[in-house]
Amino acid sequence: MTANSTAANSWLVQLATRLLEPAEREAVLGDLIESGAGARQAALEIISLAVRRQAGLWKNWHPWLAAFGLSFPCTLLLMGFSLSVTQSYERLLGAPPPHGSGWTPPPGLLLLICNVLLLAAWSWTGGFVVGNISRRTLWVSAALSFMPCVFCLERFRIESLSRFCLLLFLPPAIWGVFHGLRIARIRLSAAIILALAMTALTVPAWSSNGPWIPNWALSWPAWYLVATSWRARRDPALAG
Amino acid sequence: MLGEFEYLLLTATASLGDNAYGAAIREEIESTTGRKCSIGALYTTIDRLEQKGLLKTWMGEATPQRGGRAKRMVRLTPAGVHAAKDFYDSVARISRRASWATQTPRARSAS
Repeated sequence: MTANSTAANSWLVQLATRLLEPAEREAVLGDLIESGAGARQAALEIISLAVRRQAGLWKNWHPWLAAFGLSFPCTLLLMGFSLSVTQSYERLLGAPPPHGSGWTPPPGLLLLICNVLLLAAWSWTGGFVVGNISRRTLWVSAALSFMPCVFCLERFRIESLSRFCLLLFLPPAIWGVFHGLRIARIRLSAAIILALAMTALTVPAWSSNGPWIPNWALSWPAWYLVATSWRARRDPALAG
Repeated sequence: MLGEFEYLLLTATASLGDNAYGAAIREEIESTTGRKCSIGALYTTIDRLEQKGLLKTWMGEATPQRGGRAKRMVRLTPAGVHAAKDFYDSVARISRRASWATQTPRARSAS
């Protein structure tokens, strides 16, 4: 094993190469060995390449939209909505059973079901769009989602509820991110049904108390999916 | 229109022919221009030129002097040859009356 090959195998260089994709890692390490770079210089060169790559990704509007137009604001809104759903559920459990014979649905049950469905749909579509348009900048979107979560969990002061009720939106959102990373786009018919169903579910939620107007903003990822599926259908070159 | 570094990279690739890959192109640019060429600048420019359709890259064979690691081979496309020739012609045309191109004694003393 040559000295240069040993330098390329040093922990510093191996750690830095984690920033690159596997195929590129091979070629770059080979070039650095061939050019006789030491471990420190090789690590710096690799980090510089990774930084340039990341900077290049941010020339596009997609990562900006995913990180600052979706992840950060939607996390705040979805945490608020998760709390509202949990409080509605708690009120429903504490309500006295209705009088009379036979089972009648308690008041507010229908609205709660609508809200649970809406929470799952908003979270999934938001996650899908973030995963779909972020891809290699997903770590920034995830960090911008993580920060408000930590901030709100730290300041949660409702004794009767677990602070983790704020994170009800997280499982469907993570599921959506994984789908968004794997699937280029969903079918137009499915996107239209999803967007219409979400909009319809928003109407009863709007009629109840609470700051619902900002939550309408959570429906835009569903309409974004409709627009992208429609464009892909019109222009098959985009469908890849 | 190409950038200066893009032109250098295309020209080095053309000069190296079938032996054009990351380390060889870097060596060619550094030895010809006397300027440092970082791996970051090299690979991001190769990617950009490939996206523009001016280059084609593929993974080549591994050699012992590279620690058994594969090379990223590079080749110019016809569009790449055309773009490099356009750039060269433009530089040659605009330089026609420049003192460093005409090499007249007056021009040399002025510079």
